[in-house]
Amino acid sequence: MDWNALQLSAELAAWTLVVLLPLGIFAGRWLALTRTRARPWLQALFALPLVLPPTVVGYYLLTLMGSRSALGVLMDSLFDLSLAFSFPGLVLASIFVNLPFAILPVQRGFEAVSQDLHDAAACCGMSRWQAFSRVELPLAWPGVLSAAVLTFGHTLGEFGVVLMVGGNIPGQTRTLSIAIFDRVQAFDPAAAGRMALLLLLISLVTVALGYGTLERRGKQGAGGT
Amino acid sequence: MAKIDWRAVVLLQQFIVAIFFSACLFAGGVAQAAGGPLVAAAASLRFALEEIVDRYAAVTGSSVRLVFGSSGALVQQIENGAPFGLFLSADSGYVERLIAGGYTEGTGTAYGQGALVLFTRPGLLSPPGEGLASLARATSTGQIKRLVIANPEYAPYGRAARAALRHAGLWTQIQPLLVVGANAGQAAHFALEGAVDAALLPLSLAKIPALTKAGNYVVLPAASHPGVSLHQQMVVLRGASDIARNFFVYLQSAEVQAIFSRHGVRAISG
Amino acid sequence: MLRVSLEHNAPPLALDLELPLGELSAIVGPSGSGKTSILRAMAGLLRTRRARVSLDGETWADTAQGVWQAARLRPLGFVGQNYALFPHLNAGENVAAALLHLPTATRRERALACLAVVGIAGLAERSPTALSGGQRQRVAMARAIAREPKLLLLDEPFSALDRSTRKRLHIELKRLQASLGVTVVLVTHDLDEAAQLSGHLCLLHHGRLLQQGPTRELLRRPASVESARLLDFPNLCQARLSVSAGSSNILQWGELNIGTSTAIDARPGASVPWTIRASDVFLVKAGHSDEARLGAIVTARVAELIELGDSVLVSLAVENGGGETLRMRLRPGAVRRHDVSPGALVRVALHPEAVIPLIE
Repeated sequence: MDWNALQLSAELAAWTLVVLLPLGIFAGRWLALTRTRARPWLQALFALPLVLPPTVVGYYLLTLMGSRSALGVLMDSLFDLSLAFSFPGLVLASIFVNLPFAILPVQRGFEAVSQDLHDAAACCGMSRWQAFSRVELPLAWPGVLSAAVLTFGHTLGEFGVVLMVGGNIPGQTRTLSIAIFDRVQAFDPAAAGRMALLLLLISLVTVALGYGTLERRGKQGAGGT
Repeated sequence: MAKIDWRAVVLLQQFIVAIFFSACLFAGGVAQAAGGPLVAAAASLRFALEEIVDRYAAVTGSSVRLVFGSSGALVQQIENGAPFGLFLSADSGYVERLIAGGYTEGTGTAYGQGALVLFTRPGLLSPPGEGLASLARATSTGQIKRLVIANPEYAPYGRAARAALRHAGLWTQIQPLLVVGANAGQAAHFALEGAVDAALLPLSLAKIPALTKAGNYVVLPAASHPGVSLHQQMVVLRGASDIARNFFVYLQSAEVQAIFSRHGVRAISG
Repeated sequence: MLRVSLEHNAPPLALDLELPLGELSAIVGPSGSGKTSILRAMAGLLRTRRARVSLDGETWADTAQGVWQAARLRPLGFVGQNYALFPHLNAGENVAAALLHLPTATRRERALACLAVVGIAGLAERSPTALSGGQRQRVAMARAIAREPKLLLLDEPFSALDRSTRKRLHIELKRLQASLGVTVVLVTHDLDEAAQLSGHLCLLHHGRLLQQGPTRELLRRPASVESARLLDFPNLCQARLSVSAGSSNILQWGELNIGTSTAIDARPGASVPWTIRASDVFLVKAGHSDEARLGAIVTARVAELIELGDSVLVSLAVENGGGETLRMRLRPGAVRRHDVSPGALVRVALHPEAVIPLIE
């Protein structure tokens, strides 16, 4: 069992979540409330990582972050940091491919908060932040939780982009799914099978916990109107 | 009041924090981050190099981490800044490309001569010694429905396989039966899983126990794939650590040459 | 005075309202006349093309001067059609949500006090889904008054309730308004509701103000043909002004002369529509002692009788009149006593106080 890979996967998923969830809440809420005509296009843009093959996304991210790219040169000169084939680069790529999972469910969540309730919050004298934290977020919570679960699960299982951007570097970018692939290539089906089972269990537990929480809240009669 | 208002936020934080820490602690507790320089190597060398790295660790106490892929894909990664210290290619062309691009320290060194084999399921080729001639026959009789090779675009053994098929006049005819693995390792894996009837593989992979149990192979002479030399070259990459350099020297030792040879990468004569 | 002056394109609005302080004013109009938008504009929830809103000299919005106070800064309470209770909070928390300016410790106490004011102190722990429609309205009302607003805006607060609950809450609202002395603006499509609750009435049609004034007066005196329609005056007749003398005018309707005590701003000979409430058309008994005091007496043939609950609507074809059907409301007893039946000839009186000239 490649515990290193498991740790990497968990760290990658956690970092992705920590960075992406606030971003997803911000962007998803904005998409839900905005009246701009560009909204369908923006949504399509955010959904793009869903429809593009991961290897294609990975290839473009690699060219974007590689040591020969402008970004790569900048990061190298500023922070002495190589994005491609490094954990920070992996986090960045993971954030990008998870955009649709983090934003679109959150958007659905905030769309469920009716204009009536926005009005009521304003007439209760709530500031924007108070309305957000006390009314909007609790009501959009199912969408936010869905986003968190999907992002976490998807990051654990992501393969193509990680392989392209991260390579297969043990201890740095060899996540659990890459390690499984590596074991398969090494004619070690037993180890691959064990790790695949572990990945499956972790994903199952995460998603089940997430939906379990949702259901408990639903039973408290706290669903949206 | 405030507590209840913040219920959702607090729950969310707990969710993230719990996942983060449980995962990190759990995995971190049992994982030992392996250090050591990274050595990028052609997939065909996996089993030879795993043995060599173990021996090296036993002798010097230094550990080396291995990353396998097709030579072409690894070169791509090196050119995009992958932090490898050493590169073992399945041919000399890619090493020359890296040298020309300024990614290396010094020039390449040959460490062996690769060989291409025709691997088939048991009992498929008769008599077994005939190589590609028997492949042609088996193809025309419909005995072979799938032939796997490594990707000729960036895997040297794939390129050798294509050259061999072209030389035997089978390239066009075999197209509908062709399955392409991303690298020699994946091609070997396809062959092992039995999804294919025949494969053109590196000798170094055909010799591993899993494959010898799954079928037979015949070594094809270098003349059967003209234009693709399979001269195996390695090179130190820019920024390599002392351990990487040390390992590079070790790879040229007689002891290592013997291990390579046993795994089907023969020493270059002369 | 609460002054509201609005112009907007979607929905179309163009009106100036002047509503008395400390009273309940009603804005009445058919659905789609822009009533809700007016309330939302007053609250600062809708930015109209032009807006001027001021309460007691305090300006909340004046687009010409670039003044715009956000909704949350306006001292008002708002109760919407669906009450918009926060579904994730219980009744007490809903009210406390309007009290965030108070220290945490006092919020709950104050919330409970507000719930007590609307008569549901015991339901503080209930989730909105576990409340009846009437209870929800009370919670919304408690939330709206929690901040001791200067203005209470109510958007069709009774439309989702059954009749008996509505009646009960009508009384509660009157009581609440009287005890708080707060200025209330009630939007409704129900004229009866507005008539019962309001001291001041604004009639709205297609985003325009038809007429406004003290409710009791306005209900009796529509000023225009459209007002008369909205105020449920079924009679609409065309006459010509024959004699104009201040508050004593004579209208020529067909060949009949009908007196009205309402001043008319027109020259003799001008065409003047007029109306009379169906219940103000009186049946004149044969041999009445002092007929002259009843106003114009006209003879009419009964065309049709329609029974409507505890009254009967009688359609009359007035002899020598302008040709329009005159409708009269009678009690069933009166119909029997005077033998009012289709084809019968009756005499009816049109009192000058009841005859109301209109503008087109």
